[in-house]
Amino acid sequence: MQHSFARGILLLVLALVLGFALMGFEMLGSRYLYPYFGGGINTWASLIATVLVALMLGYLIGGALVDRTLSPRLCGGLLIVAGTYLLTIPLWVDPLFTWMLTSVGDGMAGIVLAATALLLLPLTLMSVFTPFAVRLLLVSVAFGGRIVSYVYGVSTIGNVLGTLITTFVLVPSFGSRALTMIFAAVTVMCGLVMVLSDRFLRGDDA
Amino acid sequence: MSRTWTSRRAFLAGLCAAPFAPPLAAAQGNLLEKRESLYNNIFIFGDGDSVSMTFGQNKRYYTESNMKLSDPGALTVDYTRYMTLGIAYPPKLDRIMEIGLGGGRTVSYLNAVLPDTAILTVELDKDVVDLAKKHFKYKETARLRTVVSDGRAFLLKDTEKWDVILIDAYRGPFVPFHLLTKEFYTLVKSRLNPGGVVVQNIEPSTMLFDSATATLNSVFPSVDLYDGGGNVVAVGHDGPQLTQADLLARAAKVQERFKPRYNLTKLASERRVLSRPTGKILTDDFAPVETLRAIEKNNEKWKEQTEAPR
Repeated sequence: MQHSFARGILLLVLALVLGFALMGFEMLGSRYLYPYFGGGINTWASLIATVLVALMLGYLIGGALVDRTLSPRLCGGLLIVAGTYLLTIPLWVDPLFTWMLTSVGDGMAGIVLAATALLLLPLTLMSVFTPFAVRLLLVSVAFGGRIVSYVYGVSTIGNVLGTLITTFVLVPSFGSRALTMIFAAVTVMCGLVMVLSDRFLRGDDA
Repeated sequence: MSRTWTSRRAFLAGLCAAPFAPPLAAAQGNLLEKRESLYNNIFIFGDGDSVSMTFGQNKRYYTESNMKLSDPGALTVDYTRYMTLGIAYPPKLDRIMEIGLGGGRTVSYLNAVLPDTAILTVELDKDVVDLAKKHFKYKETARLRTVVSDGRAFLLKDTEKWDVILIDAYRGPFVPFHLLTKEFYTLVKSRLNPGGVVVQNIEPSTMLFDSATATLNSVFPSVDLYDGGGNVVAVGHDGPQLTQADLLARAAKVQERFKPRYNLTKLASERRVLSRPTGKILTDDFAPVETLRAIEKNNEKWKEQTEAPR
């Protein structure tokens, strides 16, 4: 009982932190896109669509994976890949966007492609976490509804905090590149926690 | 009917309550047209002899352009006259670019003054271009063209060079951050011919002004400022500061040749030189424009950063 409670708390904390980082990246994405594609409703539409596609793909992939192998280590590994990808953004974003702008243009195709290159892969990998968390917490079908609602609810609280705090506190205080590094490092750390607490999260020693 | 009345009342209230509307002309009157574009809520107001374009935001109206119907060639908004001063600086005037059309009064004026100069305006909002044509007698010709695009995206894609680049890209009360950074000005500089200048309209009542001029100065070693009646017009160029005698001679030469209505020598005589930039330099990485804009300051304080030209 004690163990499953601690496990639940750990997974919900991870859901909160990852939800925060995910929306933090969406807001930061705008800072990367504006200089090349302008700051209009079209840039936002592309960003939002990209994030929603990433969530969809992440949920689908996560659900398929977790039914095949209930491995927190695998999920953690994917988070580490996501964080590492995000860490490298400042290295390639300027040359890539310059190239996209000049060869694809600043229409929908150009902006969506840029938002996709920036965020699709890492955010997909980050949202793989959600089905994993649900499945890991699902000790009994009797609690199924509440488990799903906790995971989505807490992760959405993370989304809301990530959106607001990133926009109103972090972006006005730190550079976008520094924030990218911080969020990426946090994502990698979440992944490491999952890898290292693999057995604990599986509930093997319960 | 009651709708018009409500908008008008809101409009008048807006005039009193708008401390940082960029070009705050005394536009009033009847709503001629309202258009919700992809980027703005655009209102065209007419009042007897005058028509103005305003962008509505937060129940305030920010005047983007104003024209006197009986005298469309007049530049009725003070700062726009100082924008024309850009033509006094460069060694040649083959090509001029403007970012941000508004009603197109400044470029139409320059087009009338300079018969052999090609002028291109890059405007983000297609509806602004339509309304400028419809209400402000903005007429495109082979020498006066418009491109609908984000200003920075256009400069990145188009590598042609210009003798003067005018920047007046306000969206209601603010300039988008990506048009205020060191990287942006570096791009602008790379699109200027030797001796070319950038001319920018900056609103002086917030901390953002300090950062905007400091950022401009970080790329253009020489920055001149002109008090444009509420707004400040900054002229930046590469190389050392011109002496006042040199600038006046250049202005007199252009004045003599093209005889523009607003005397360039007179406008140039009001020059202040930016000598003590105090703001933090904005970069693509860190440009907290919203925060800086929230800190208001005395409208006249900017003069402390300048000195009289030598």
